[in-house]
Amino acid sequence: MLDGYPYKQIIQKARLGRKAIFPYRNTQNPLSVYGGSSLKNSSDIEKIVLAPPQFTPHRLAKSIDLIFREPDYTDVDLRSVIGGFETTGPFIQASMGSPDVWNQVSLASARTFASLGLIIGIGENVASTWGYDQRIKKQQPSFVERILTYFEAEQEGIGGVVIQQNEEDATDELWNRIYSDKRFDEFIQDGRIAFEIKGGQGAKAGLGGEKLVSRPQALKMKEKYHITPDPETVECDSYERHSAPDIYTEDILFNRIKKLKNDYPRLKIWFKTGAYRDIGEVINIVANAKSDAITVDGREGGTGMSPTVVMRTLGVPRLASLNLFELKKKQFPHLSLITSGCITDGGDVVKSLALGADAVALGRPIVFSAYAYPFAEQVLSKGLLQNRLTASFLFLTSRLLGRSESYIKRYLETITLESKMLISSLGKYNIRDLGREDLRTTDLTLSKYLKIKYFLDEPSSQTENLQDVLIGSEMENQNANIPESSSV
Amino acid sequence: MSCDTIKIMIMQNTSQSGLSELEALFKSDSFQLLQTKPFQQIYQIYSEISKIIRGNLDSQEFLEFKPPLIGPVTDPGTRGSKQVEIDFYGKSYKFMSSAILYKQYLAISRKHSGYPGKIYFFADNLRMEPLETASTDRHLSEFVQVDLELVDADHFDAMNVAESLVKSIYSGLKPHSGLVSEVRDYFRPFSRERGLIDLPTEIKVPSTFKKITHEEAVEMLQVKLSEDKDVRGVIQRLFRIKPNKLSKETELHWEYEWLLSSMFKEPFFIHDYPRGARGFYDREYPQKPGYLMDFDLIFPYGYGEAISGAAREFDYKKVIPRMKESGENLKKYQWYLKFLQMHGEPTSGFGIGLERTVRFFCGLPKVYFALPYPKVPGMYNP
Repeated sequence: MLDGYPYKQIIQKARLGRKAIFPYRNTQNPLSVYGGSSLKNSSDIEKIVLAPPQFTPHRLAKSIDLIFREPDYTDVDLRSVIGGFETTGPFIQASMGSPDVWNQVSLASARTFASLGLIIGIGENVASTWGYDQRIKKQQPSFVERILTYFEAEQEGIGGVVIQQNEEDATDELWNRIYSDKRFDEFIQDGRIAFEIKGGQGAKAGLGGEKLVSRPQALKMKEKYHITPDPETVECDSYERHSAPDIYTEDILFNRIKKLKNDYPRLKIWFKTGAYRDIGEVINIVANAKSDAITVDGREGGTGMSPTVVMRTLGVPRLASLNLFELKKKQFPHLSLITSGCITDGGDVVKSLALGADAVALGRPIVFSAYAYPFAEQVLSKGLLQNRLTASFLFLTSRLLGRSESYIKRYLETITLESKMLISSLGKYNIRDLGREDLRTTDLTLSKYLKIKYFLDEPSSQTENLQDVLIGSEMENQNANIPESSSV
Repeated sequence: MSCDTIKIMIMQNTSQSGLSELEALFKSDSFQLLQTKPFQQIYQIYSEISKIIRGNLDSQEFLEFKPPLIGPVTDPGTRGSKQVEIDFYGKSYKFMSSAILYKQYLAISRKHSGYPGKIYFFADNLRMEPLETASTDRHLSEFVQVDLELVDADHFDAMNVAESLVKSIYSGLKPHSGLVSEVRDYFRPFSRERGLIDLPTEIKVPSTFKKITHEEAVEMLQVKLSEDKDVRGVIQRLFRIKPNKLSKETELHWEYEWLLSSMFKEPFFIHDYPRGARGFYDREYPQKPGYLMDFDLIFPYGYGEAISGAAREFDYKKVIPRMKESGENLKKYQWYLKFLQMHGEPTSGFGIGLERTVRFFCGLPKVYFALPYPKVPGMYNP
């Protein structure tokens, strides 16, 4: 009788009150901060397929390029310029911040992304939680370490570091501190650092940051945040720390970007935002203010420590913003468009690129790769992390074996390989050539709104011919020679 | 190098010993330089200029106050420079990077008491400037700013005060022209190395200061850059940076300010900066959105900015969105916003860099020579 009725949730709320709201608080599972329990994926993306053609003029053109050899997937060129940084591939390590499970393996990720020539983001709160350049806790790297580790391992001149600052970081003037830190001067002068304004996050668009803190932390933060319960009068294990969402109007956003470009002329300025309904407008403003890149999280991503109800009901799916990208790219060629939210394999990547994204940001796949130790699946799937002993076992193994770096590397190499194979199957060898013509959908509504052909539609009669492809690629080469911004 | 050698080097302006030797000596053993006549003459002029400024402002009914050293907030509008935080009995306080908000507070309170709403500070400021400013020749981390504010005035009124003040320094130094020209002579060859144009030997009070808008300034620079193809190379060589992008939408970067300044022979004003260029307290023209009612006074011959000033935004409903534009936390400014809500009224004001003024009138290659124990970003002195 009760099948399908959420009586368990109701009883939990009646029994536990506000404690039932936060999944993290109930499970004690450190990885659930990455959305373990309440995650639902949008199945719409699964209704889109990559549709290779028989006739492949790009493949013929590529063979002429290669001096008459048949190209294969290894000839696919994933290099591009994203948000002002040269990169070897359209994969960015999403701006992840201070959760301890992540921070602990963040150096491994920084080294891996740097050595592969890929961009990384550094999220909020790292400096305030784990120290600016001195470690607050022995096994937790500081903020400066995370950046310097990247640049020590980098491929000369390729890639870059994107740094966020939230309200708390702003009070500590994190950005000014970086801008006047001798250790970063070289990278600032070489334009290898971007500051990323945060306008929102996928799973909790419209809400501020949510975190659980200890009593001493709560007492310290009382002035800056809304803390529940009041740590002065109530003694308990943990306190909810709510931060207010930032305030934006079109004017504020436009001028905020302008102000940053004025204050930090040597840096790139990125904007990260969430699953809002007015993303089209946001992109227009960010582009008009001459920002270098925008990352839009779908509701599937950026879970953070979100209340269960938020993950279930709040925000627009990733496809909504992705659908706008192709048009926006034509309008604003200088702005890199990055999509994120539950992208896990090469298929998700290539579909995103074909719909108009310049790159994808990966968050959770990097965290889970870092912990790909023996028995990790069992520990995660059986919910054994809720058991403190098993959890400590996994983290201890990770520290003892120190294999996070090679796990992350293998994961990235694999999705690179998948992406290359899929792109080559479409008869294309350059990510800029991908487009909606490479997609079909099994859903009529998606076909209508995404302007992708329904899979039962008549096959296209307008196959590109070789001449057009060659002319097109020549023009692209000419464009590539124009310096990105003439300085004066 | 012995004390005598350096004395001889400076006195004779020997061309074998350049600015880099002089700087190396300052870094390794500044006392050797401090005890020479030219350096003591700089400090004497520093003192004279301070007296002249006080005299001029006092005669215009400005009242000198002691500025705050620390406070819950300080001026957040200083591009890319970090504030210094101290733990004040459990609360985070900042060392003043500029006491701008406190000036408004005092000037308005003084007016309410029936006295003229005109006040000034000789204010010590501390700014952890970005490292690249170490090569601008005109940035210090620790410096004195003569900071003033007047009630019921706009930026043009403030420009009038600034003009009279700077002219009074010209005329006030005339009786000391022997001293001034001696210092200028000593440092002339060193200053040439830094792209500074020779100052005239005689002090001549300038005519009315020119006023150009920010937009006109950018246009002048665009013409200059297109006519003189070597300039970018000169900038790279002098300041060891790639020139920034020149844009009507941002602050004039200091390398362009140097360039523009070198095209003038008398101090001049640049006004109407674009909105993104300055802090939330610079008022936007009600009839000219996107432009601020503000100004800089630029010294000529390549010496660059001396003064920054503006009419203040006093409507708290306009200040709040402006604060959000610079990512400020409203909570921190509660006292200031409440003050504006209750007592906000038009004021304007400016700050003049004392060491920069001394540098200009003495013709020094580097602003830090104006102080016996200067703090230059990234340079570790006593």
